[in-house]
Amino acid sequence: MSPFSGGLKRGGDRLRIPPVALATGFAALVGAALILISGHDPLSAYAEIVRGSLTPQALPDTLNWATPLVGMTLAAAIPLRGGMVNLGGDGQLVIGGLIGALAPLFLPDHGAFGAAVGLAFAGLGGGLYAALAAWGEVRHGVPMLISSLLLSYPAMGVTSYLARFPLRDVSTGLPQTLMIPPDARLHVLSGALNVGSLLIAAVALAVVFVDRRTSAGYELRMRGKNPRFTGYGGVRLGRQAVRTMFASGAIAGLVGAIIVLGSQFRFIDGALITPAYTWSGLMAALLVSGEPVGAIVAAVFFAALQTGGFAMQRETSVPRVLTLVLQAIVILFLAMRRGLGRRM
Amino acid sequence: MAAIAAVGIVKRYGRLVANDGVDLSAEPGEIHGVMGENGAGKTTFMSILFGLQAPDAGEIRVRDAPVFFHSPIDAMAAGLGMVHQSFKLFGSLTTWENIVYGAEPRRGPLIDRRAARERVAELAERHHLAVDPDARVGDLSVGVRQRIEILKALHRDARILILDEPTAVLTPPERDALFAVLKSLASEGRTVLFVTHKLHEVTAITDRVTILRDGRTVANLRTADTDAGEIVRAMTGRNVNLKVEKRPAQPGDTLLKAVDVTIASPSGKLAVDRVSLTVRCGEIVGIAGVAGNGQNELVEALVGLRNPDGGRVEVCGRDVTDGDVATHRAAGLAYIPEDRAAVGSAAEASAADNLAMGFHRRPPLASGPFVNPSAFAERARALIRRFAIRIASERVNVGTLSGGNLQKIVVARELAHEAPALIAEQPTRGLDVGATEHIHEQLVAERDRGRAVLVVSAELGEILGLSDRVLVMFEGRILADLPRGGADEHNVGLLMAGRGVEAG
Repeated sequence: MSPFSGGLKRGGDRLRIPPVALATGFAALVGAALILISGHDPLSAYAEIVRGSLTPQALPDTLNWATPLVGMTLAAAIPLRGGMVNLGGDGQLVIGGLIGALAPLFLPDHGAFGAAVGLAFAGLGGGLYAALAAWGEVRHGVPMLISSLLLSYPAMGVTSYLARFPLRDVSTGLPQTLMIPPDARLHVLSGALNVGSLLIAAVALAVVFVDRRTSAGYELRMRGKNPRFTGYGGVRLGRQAVRTMFASGAIAGLVGAIIVLGSQFRFIDGALITPAYTWSGLMAALLVSGEPVGAIVAAVFFAALQTGGFAMQRETSVPRVLTLVLQAIVILFLAMRRGLGRRM
Repeated sequence: MAAIAAVGIVKRYGRLVANDGVDLSAEPGEIHGVMGENGAGKTTFMSILFGLQAPDAGEIRVRDAPVFFHSPIDAMAAGLGMVHQSFKLFGSLTTWENIVYGAEPRRGPLIDRRAARERVAELAERHHLAVDPDARVGDLSVGVRQRIEILKALHRDARILILDEPTAVLTPPERDALFAVLKSLASEGRTVLFVTHKLHEVTAITDRVTILRDGRTVANLRTADTDAGEIVRAMTGRNVNLKVEKRPAQPGDTLLKAVDVTIASPSGKLAVDRVSLTVRCGEIVGIAGVAGNGQNELVEALVGLRNPDGGRVEVCGRDVTDGDVATHRAAGLAYIPEDRAAVGSAAEASAADNLAMGFHRRPPLASGPFVNPSAFAERARALIRRFAIRIASERVNVGTLSGGNLQKIVVARELAHEAPALIAEQPTRGLDVGATEHIHEQLVAERDRGRAVLVVSAELGEILGLSDRVLVMFEGRILADLPRGGADEHNVGLLMAGRGVEAG
């Protein structure tokens, strides 16, 4: 009843170091201790991480690594912004990947057109598949948290079957489709970097713009803060859930097609799932409760950490798994500061 | 000797000073009122007295001995008992189990059930607090639950009883019974601290009253030597007109209509049983009733938050029975919900965002699918000025506002819709005199602009003061439709308790 009962925040007005800096610094200290214990030099290890991720030669690698991660982070962040969770990123990813691989193979006219059609339908397919989970909740009361996750398994199973049997490239012994012809692959910009990264960058800009400057973005933000208020204000929550999940799944599907058309050049069973982009993306998005700019920054940071980790392992023989430890500590510490668990 | 005294209590939350020098002193055998506007610091002060929070400065004395409470357990050990606004009871346990909880009579390691039941029966008998020791608390009415809360404190022999707005949930007869109990407790030498917003309750039963304003004690009055005007001046620092001033209604076309609306509750009982009502433009219709008699469900059906199981709802002549909130709003309905924090606003969003809801898809806030943040801010500033909302800027999150100011945000937004029909549910619950008066004026002004206004309130004085017509709801049905002159506290109170209108 009192206005002050809401003001019970802990550690309210003390001198405050930005939590991100604090978490990163703390993680760096713990990491340094670990490196020392294992008998290496922490300073040179960290120098290699920075050199291996941010120097002009290394930057394309970092960005290439960041591309799917940023994409899947956005796919997770969009529903989170509205207080919903899409756990079905893997399913939407493989659907997009398979469509991306098949379009250039089966369209009569190859080339960039095939790639464009592949990307478009990959987004559509992933989007519709995610929207199915939302529809299940809106129409039949199946919690989206569960249905989005469970819908992933048939998607992975069916695409796996297709890659192993009817669509398999029989000239290899592996569960993968035929190679995409070179003229249908995404245009290379520099080193490993291709047009796909530009596409994801454009998607990221669009998401930030929609979030900040459109009615739909406003409604989604308000839903994330209080869904009952948003419904009472006249927003049709069911329709909003379906559309939001469509956008989320469409980005996941697009990421799948970008990986296939840009780096793997064929649909390989399991290759989209193994790097766990979905879950890293979900982590990054959770850290900032789905705020898009923060989510993008977090995803790029983690991508840099991981790329730098490869360089560190090459140059100093400190194992690259250290960067995963750093990442975990940053996440734990930030989650602690934000009290994420308490809101769930 | 003072039974309890507080001297110079200070409590800060960050930059916010909730209590800034609160003094209070109450004698044994005294009923002591604690009054103040919302945000004056009453709740904070009470939670400090009861050991729920530690003060930053100041001292509490019990029977002239300084005490420091680390928790409510210390406070109870020192002889304090508190009846919270929302009861802290176990619904699945029986009356006696709730009462002895935490201080059970024991026989060895076991609870002595017989002694406990006898103790409860004896306490209830002695204090005229009729309860059934074996009833399950979840099945009992709020009035009975409150008695259980009081018995819980008495079981520990509380010498000092704190009641935080105890009458908010009671019918007038229940309230009178509570007052009788409090008086008899005081006559045994116990001290009662009685927190309330309601003036007539202070004048009815307190011996003295401490008045808080902006976190400070501004007055300590002997009730017999003061009057309502002086108390209000102390609370608000100005003269406030307590009556709702309005001209007779001039009703016209029916804008809001329910025909035989029926809603089943999960238990299978009818929450709303064939309710029909009409609200015409230019009139205020009030629905009186003790909370929980189907008002919530009825309003949900009227605003589109749920679809009725039977019957029809019309807004401005359009059948919206099967529509959702968007349909109802589009047909011309604005709605001030009962729970301003859970439904009427988003605490973690700015005032600008809160005030924009519902306006965010049309000019000037939007053009096409795009929104214009500076238009959001401009519009929010205009509403903040027009409704005199006390807030630092439109960028502040509304979760930091006091109840009255948050309600003004909700009211400002809903009235800005200029919808022909308006439903206001508990529009002034928990608000102080100043904010209540302001909102009542706004509702009457809406009526005079030719809008149809439906007010749902458990506050009888509010219903009687505002309404041109009074409907009384009891157990899902409308028991009576009384014209303004035909409704008074007595007959509406009886109807609220479920008794039929006496003939003639």
